[in-house]
Amino acid sequence: MIKSLDPRVTRAQIEENNTITPLKDLDQWETYEVFHQKKRGDQHMHVGIVHAPNPEMALLFAKEQYGRRGMSVNIWVVGTRDVYTSDYDDTDMFDVSEKNYREAGGYKVMEKINKYKKANKIK
Amino acid sequence: MNEKTTIATKELLYKIADDLLIIGHRNSEWTGLGPILEEDISFSSMAQDKIGQSMSVFQILQQLGEGEPDTVAFNRASENFYNSQFVELPNGEYDFSLMRHFLYDHADQLRFEMLAKSSFEPIAKLAQKIKGELKYHVYHANIWVTKLGNANEESHSRMQNALNECWNFALGMFEESEFENTLINEKIFAGENELKKKWLENISLILEKASLKIPEEKNWKPFFGGRKHIHTEYLKPLVDEMGEVFSIDPGVEW
Amino acid sequence: MYGNAYIDPNEKANLILAEEDPQKLAEFEARIDRGEKIEPKDWMPKEYRKQLIRMIEQHAHSEIIGALPEGTWITRAPGFKRKLALMAKVQDEVGHAQLLYSAAETLGKSREAMINDLITGKSKYSNVFNYPAFTWADACVIAWLIDAGAIINQVANAKGSYGPYCRALDRICTEESFHLKYGHDNVVTLATGSSIQRDMVQGALTRWWPPIMHFFGPSDKISQHTEILMKWKVKMASNDDMRQQFLDMYVPKIWDLGLSVPDPLLKKNTATNKWEYTEPDWDEFKRVINGDGPCNAERLAVRRHAEEHGRWVREALNNVGSKYIVPLA
Repeated sequence: MIKSLDPRVTRAQIEENNTITPLKDLDQWETYEVFHQKKRGDQHMHVGIVHAPNPEMALLFAKEQYGRRGMSVNIWVVGTRDVYTSDYDDTDMFDVSEKNYREAGGYKVMEKINKYKKANKIK
Repeated sequence: MNEKTTIATKELLYKIADDLLIIGHRNSEWTGLGPILEEDISFSSMAQDKIGQSMSVFQILQQLGEGEPDTVAFNRASENFYNSQFVELPNGEYDFSLMRHFLYDHADQLRFEMLAKSSFEPIAKLAQKIKGELKYHVYHANIWVTKLGNANEESHSRMQNALNECWNFALGMFEESEFENTLINEKIFAGENELKKKWLENISLILEKASLKIPEEKNWKPFFGGRKHIHTEYLKPLVDEMGEVFSIDPGVEW
Repeated sequence: MYGNAYIDPNEKANLILAEEDPQKLAEFEARIDRGEKIEPKDWMPKEYRKQLIRMIEQHAHSEIIGALPEGTWITRAPGFKRKLALMAKVQDEVGHAQLLYSAAETLGKSREAMINDLITGKSKYSNVFNYPAFTWADACVIAWLIDAGAIINQVANAKGSYGPYCRALDRICTEESFHLKYGHDNVVTLATGSSIQRDMVQGALTRWWPPIMHFFGPSDKISQHTEILMKWKVKMASNDDMRQQFLDMYVPKIWDLGLSVPDPLLKKNTATNKWEYTEPDWDEFKRVINGDGPCNAERLAVRRHAEEHGRWVREALNNVGSKYIVPLA
């Protein structure tokens, strides 16, 4: 038995050469993606995952891992399996090539006004 | 407050502070050794809450003329502790610790709910302040006990055995003080019997959902004594360990 | 808390870059050069994935194992303030392990596989935690100087190329600032305290100096391997650079407290502006990291014990129909 500097370890009566069966698949449960809201008015943001066996416990764990010390006012959890994602290869679908008809900067109002004033000799 | 009321109040506060300190200490023993990382983190948070609450109660005691919190908590003989025997028991496996957490935290939450209406303002204020922490502790306990009670044969029988083991010790939390009537009449605290009644109502609801059975009332034999400084063999080593470094040089700042 | 990723200098640089698609590789490297992050679903060379998994996994293991030497003193912390702070700090280490395992999972290795590799001794963790925390002052010295070393490493790595790891490190760095403050406060309290306390902290410092000097690992051999890892922003700074930074930041502070460092050669050469010191014993480092240190056996036995005793909990709550999916980010 290990006699440790840590009294908890000594009390646990652990054999130094203990062996255990390896952890099976899903021993650590599924994962849930966590979104938290830092303060009212903010959007919820993705902050990481928790491993949990069900949504209630995912929320329970997320509150501690992502919300302790006043880091959040609200938390959402969603199973990783339920999140649909786009592909980075498809970033070109998000590309904004010149489409100034739908941007504020695409409208050159002052140019038109000044041109008219000049043509009509208006100060 | 007259002298009798003061003595009654101090005893009440000591019992609360000691319970919180000892159970917080026990629960902190799980840090880094829990069944899964996420739960390790949660259980440790709650242990910190308990120790922090304990410190707050010792601070109120200090205002009433008792010693400095660190000295009172870390440099007192185990024979002078007022905690229930329940909280000093070793952690056992996670089933025992969870069941104790469930039974204790429900009582704790109800006790502080009652104290929120206390005529003794400092404790009423503290009760309101820690409401949110206690809410999480009970929420955590309820989810775990319910899920494990219903999960599979092994978890069910472990939790049932843990409940059976804990039961008479848990009843020991409600050991009446000789000053019970003073506390009730002065509206400081509505008393252990009242607390026990509410506690039984609350835990019965959850235990039923968890498919767990409370032992038959005819077999109830509360383990009293803790409030009157009668402790199990487990308290002294705990207190000695807790104060080990502090007592190397008790007068100094650590 | 963590030292630089342990890369066995004798490992052959099995860079099978020749088998990687040259165009994809070029785009990948260009992205990194531009300072952009690589995200989990991006194409990446096999070697990049492998080295990152190893590095992040080792870091995660270091956190959960690192909880043990300081955890030794949780039940004996003197006074409320220290008891609460130490509990919070060790809890953070467990929290960091969770964050880091999560980051490594995005690269395709499951947490079960990582834990199995830890408890069988296959994966490594920071060597410094294979040493015993004999006294309360040891826990304080660890909290100050080992965390200090870890922060230097983490701040450097936070500018690396892999998104999930950088995000985890950002959060870790924030929490570490409390740890460092806590550690320093503790050491200062002891060093400026009673003679019993001063002796305790000097003893701890003397004991821990060799592992602290080992913390950043031996001088990097300039190899093709190291060069590629630096190009890919997996390795962000050389071991020697980080060690120099550590000495620069902390030796003056140690000396300020009137504490002595057990190395007669330790001094800053004003001409070269570099610290000189007795070369640490790298044979011992190698011996210990490969299993033969004072606490290796205990550390892993404790982890195995914890996993085993928690197994009934994890198995009970597992659901039929559960399916593991690689986390997103």
